[in-house]
Amino acid sequence: MQFRDTVTIALRAVSANRSRAFLTMLGIIIAVGAVILMASIGKSMEGVILDQVSVLGPRTIAMWPGNKGPEGGSGTMNPDYDKLTISDVDALKKLASISGVAPIIFVTGKVSYGRETSDTRAVGSTPQYYENQTVEVQEGRLNDEEDEKGVRAVAVLGSDTAIDLFGSRNPVGERIEIGNQKFTVVGLLKPAGSAFFQNLDERIIIPFSVAKVTMQRSYVDMVTARATSNDVEYAADDIRYLLRKRHRIILPNDGGTDNDDFLIRTAAQAQEILGAVSLGLTMFITMIAGISLIVGGIGIMNIMLVAVTERTREIGLRKALGAQPRDIMRQFLVEAVLLTFLGGLLGLILGIAIDLLIVGIAQKFLAAYVFKLNIFAIGLSIVMAAGTGLAFGIYPARKAASLNPIEALRYE
Amino acid sequence: MSNHEKKSEVTLPRSSPATLIETINLYKSYFNEDLETPVLFDINLKIQSGEFVAIMGPSGSGKSTLMHILGFLDVPSKGHYHFKGESTEEKLENELARIRAENISFVFQSFNLLPRTTVYDNVLLPLLYGNTPTHERRSRTLKAIESVGLADRATFYSNQLSGGQQQRVAIARALVTEPEVIFADEPTGNLDSASGKHVMEILQNLNKEGHTIILVTHERTTAEHAKRIIHVQDGRILTDEKNLTQRIASQVKQLK
Repeated sequence: MQFRDTVTIALRAVSANRSRAFLTMLGIIIAVGAVILMASIGKSMEGVILDQVSVLGPRTIAMWPGNKGPEGGSGTMNPDYDKLTISDVDALKKLASISGVAPIIFVTGKVSYGRETSDTRAVGSTPQYYENQTVEVQEGRLNDEEDEKGVRAVAVLGSDTAIDLFGSRNPVGERIEIGNQKFTVVGLLKPAGSAFFQNLDERIIIPFSVAKVTMQRSYVDMVTARATSNDVEYAADDIRYLLRKRHRIILPNDGGTDNDDFLIRTAAQAQEILGAVSLGLTMFITMIAGISLIVGGIGIMNIMLVAVTERTREIGLRKALGAQPRDIMRQFLVEAVLLTFLGGLLGLILGIAIDLLIVGIAQKFLAAYVFKLNIFAIGLSIVMAAGTGLAFGIYPARKAASLNPIEALRYE
Repeated sequence: MSNHEKKSEVTLPRSSPATLIETINLYKSYFNEDLETPVLFDINLKIQSGEFVAIMGPSGSGKSTLMHILGFLDVPSKGHYHFKGESTEEKLENELARIRAENISFVFQSFNLLPRTTVYDNVLLPLLYGNTPTHERRSRTLKAIESVGLADRATFYSNQLSGGQQQRVAIARALVTEPEVIFADEPTGNLDSASGKHVMEILQNLNKEGHTIILVTHERTTAEHAKRIIHVQDGRILTDEKNLTQRIASQVKQLK
């Protein structure tokens, strides 16, 4: 029997029982949908990471007090951390391995303009803050050394924050309130995406000197800097050595960072962390997909066994007309593979549809999160789905092929 | 070239009477949990090409089993079966399937057409399993449908037809491979008398055109359409004789 004839017969058998075929395919649809979805999310995340690295520049280094990063959840909120003092910052500025040392203080207090408010937390930092990232001015200017020296109450707004407070109006020259203190808006930034797990478009930057007075601080919440060479780890080690010496930290026997009361992250490390998170996610989903492929495969096997029983007379007839056992075997195998293959295609559509939804939502928070297809995952999951049909279709197909034609013809 | 030779070899027995089927001491029994139940004993039978034979007997006589063995759906327990002078013992399932595909065909009591399938596709079905070239399929299918007078119904679904029409479709399906022998198992059993008569006339005409037909029935009136009647009872051949009614009828026709 020709293969084309076998496919035609299988197509007819599937289309004769459409709703049942669909229900049978559900497991496969979900499995493939999940794989496509997660693979696409992974690709999109990769894009975000790359974008982040390009915003920060690969040489950027960030330091926090305490031994937990922002991804650890409560790191900077932990009241027990040892402090990074302003004199630490002054010492850091003297290191040759880094430049653009920018201390940062997070300013608490409600941000408002008239009746409009924003959830944004203002940050106080020096003009060096802008050296460690790509920043473009939409309107007005950035805060500069003059503002720093003059302790001027000026503010630069991120694009999202400006929309919160002013809508589409130009905010430059307006006066906003940050915790009962009035600030003049001098600049508006262009949309920038996110970096170090923060949305860069949702921020207010004020001079460090102002924040220091407002918050009555002798210590900072974060420091950013930039390695002067491409060897970022060298610079990070230099910082580590300096801070350990200043904080009188005894190095543990294993030479690790367990005793440190500060945390250093480079852009490359942030990339690695995101990569590890997305890899973990991918493995988790692959496992789920694997399990649902098996469950779906059992469903296929079940329905194919029902089909063999239902079509016993047809099988008997085909055999009487001269069908070889392998013709019957192939007919049912092709039908099973067709079911899982179609299920795979539907799963592909489902996965892409959900991914587009997620992209729509995610873009509100992460501008760099764009729709990306993982072609490799698509190919692999369709092949896997068809393979499931083949694996779980063999038993029913063999059963059909081994039926005795006389008994099959008599079957009621 | 060899294909052409094969073809002439196939059509030869039809024109000149040759032994198509020969059984020697055929014996068949079934086992039901160690208990042997014999069904056929010492069946010695010769059927020439071009014959129209009725195998007649009450239910349980073994006539169906005999037809299954002769039609390669089953194998004998003992004895010999020669088809076209060739021994068929020790043939594998694949080879038996090939003989079914190319040399014989069946017409069943319950038609056994595929539901939700057109007349055309039902008749085409056996060609999918044989060695018919793809480009010949269509013309042969249409020719077979035409020969049972259903050319205008080719695109109908099988379940849109009456019982008599369905059985004619089944006959067309049996004809389409141009088999050496057509087995008809109670072909009128599910039909009213008028449709049954029509179906038997078609079978008689096919026989006149040279087709070998083996009819299995328990009805005398149906068996009377054949030229030779083999009476089977309790697994043995009781009588095997020329059908006188048929001979007389044809002689009367000639006199007229």
